Amino acid sequence: MFELIVSSIPLAIVASIPLLLAVEGELVVQRGGIINLGIEGMMLAAAMSAAFAAQASGSVVIGFIGGIAGALTIAAIFGVFTVVLRADQIVTGTAVNLLALGGTSFVYQEVQAFKQQIPQLRTDPILPLAWILIPVALGVILWNTSFGLRLRACGEHPEALAATGRSVKTHRWIALAIEAILVGLGGAYLSLALSNGFAENMTAGRGFIALSIVIFGRWKMKGALLGTAIFGLAAAMQYALQAANRGIPYHLLLAVPYLVTLLILCGVAGRVRAPENLGVR
Amino acid sequence: MRRLAVAVLAAAAAVLLLAFSGALFGHSPWSLLSILASGSIGSRFALEGTLLKSIPLLLTGLSVVIAFRAGVWNIGGEGQFIVGGLAAIVAAPWGVLPSLAAAMLAGAAWASIASAMRLWRNAPEVLTTILLNFTAIHLLGWSVNGPLRERAGQYPQTDLAESALPLMGRLHIGIFIAIATSVVAWWLLYHTAEGLRLRATGFNPNAARWAGISVGKQIVRAMAISGAAAGLAGGIELLGVTHRLFERFAAGYGYSGIAVALLAQLHPLGSIASAAFFGALVSGAGELQRTANISSGVATFGQAVVILTLIVFDHVRADR
Repeated sequence: MFELIVSSIPLAIVASIPLLLAVEGELVVQRGGIINLGIEGMMLAAAMSAAFAAQASGSVVIGFIGGIAGALTIAAIFGVFTVVLRADQIVTGTAVNLLALGGTSFVYQEVQAFKQQIPQLRTDPILPLAWILIPVALGVILWNTSFGLRLRACGEHPEALAATGRSVKTHRWIALAIEAILVGLGGAYLSLALSNGFAENMTAGRGFIALSIVIFGRWKMKGALLGTAIFGLAAAMQYALQAANRGIPYHLLLAVPYLVTLLILCGVAGRVRAPENLGVR
Repeated sequence: MRRLAVAVLAAAAAVLLLAFSGALFGHSPWSLLSILASGSIGSRFALEGTLLKSIPLLLTGLSVVIAFRAGVWNIGGEGQFIVGGLAAIVAAPWGVLPSLAAAMLAGAAWASIASAMRLWRNAPEVLTTILLNFTAIHLLGWSVNGPLRERAGQYPQTDLAESALPLMGRLHIGIFIAIATSVVAWWLLYHTAEGLRLRATGFNPNAARWAGISVGKQIVRAMAISGAAAGLAGGIELLGVTHRLFERFAAGYGYSGIAVALLAQLHPLGSIASAAFFGALVSGAGELQRTANISSGVATFGQAVVILTLIVFDHVRADR
């Protein structure tokens, strides 16, 4: 068992990068008072636009930029409805997920570029970025800068921020943009580094798992990293178990990530305190 | 009257935006619209197809109506639909009624996992229901590859169910069950004390608590009823249409129920018209896939546009 865990660590670190970036992005928006259930669709759209940009241009870098552009588009739609129109965030998020799911499967069938060769990622700058640089930077921004304080005020008590003459909407838009950049990178990493191009519904619930990990991590950066690590390890062990062929049916192993996430959500002992104004219109 | 106008407008917006999106990729919007129309209402065969799709949509839509009215975010229709189908095929040897009862029980039980987690561990049902969807999909995958696999062992699917709903041409009597269910849901919501408590809980849980309603128990019951409706949808789809299970059995009906419920403004009887519209959209999209090689995912896209258009008119109310 111990061996199994140790041997799964390298895979866990790499394979959970898209999830980790999504967790970090979702942490930022939730601190600003927004639940983005549409993060699943955001990552799916990013995975597709990244694959398209990379395959059409032959450049991985342009692919990653394309991924960010796709995620920003979804963030713009989500923001118009939740920040500007103040629509219900869960309903909007659900709609955005359907939009991305239907939209990507439509575009995937229409565009010829997806049949072209996918450029290979030679070095992996995203790994240290996702596991070290971004968490440190976001930690500093959220808890050691006045912008971070103001953003957290949007999540706890937006009236207080409004009373200082600052715009809650602007702060939430910035948070959404940060999330989109991170999720865009994550989606691009999924289709360009972890897989060989786009596939329909390839995010397979990573966005929802990210939301669960943010809650498990109690809206803290350390908790978010720990949650992703636990989850990533459990998900990677699934492959090791499969390879070890211990007679556990393959399809039941596929359910493991979701069961682990359910347990993670239930493991939130006692009452966790969410940002006071989270999800309020 | 205004709410009806808004709903019609949202539906029209979805269809027009579909045609426009098609035009962006070089399809003629007119031929696209005419294929949609002929594939959904253009012939007796198309109409039957539309009605067949409307049946599960109406039931998953009602499932969402009940949950959202109680202020419970049941996004788990897909999973409840699947376990409904699983229970139905297992119970099929005992006949249609036991099979459908098993489907409802299974759907209710699956949904209750989420409400139990909410009550005991404070886990938000909006996430647990979604995670249970993925779990159910893999449970189904395991079942049709393992214990329930057809005896011939050739494909990952079950043998034909040992009972079936009575047929009327291509249609089956599930359509009456679905319509009856919406009348029952309407009666439950607006003409019983249970319905009043349920709506009060959704409208303002704090006020409901002060009025002496046990909000926790109310949520558990609403979730169970909601899950039963989605489970029934799965059971009826199995006994009336597919007659066997395979990995893609649910085909998004659970998620589509959200669009059905919102277009119906969370009204059980309005859901009948709403389900018919989305049934036509799904049916027409299938025709687009067959004749014009356009992804049937456009139906999902259309559902999203309907919801977003409704929001623009600020009529989406899923208060909690």
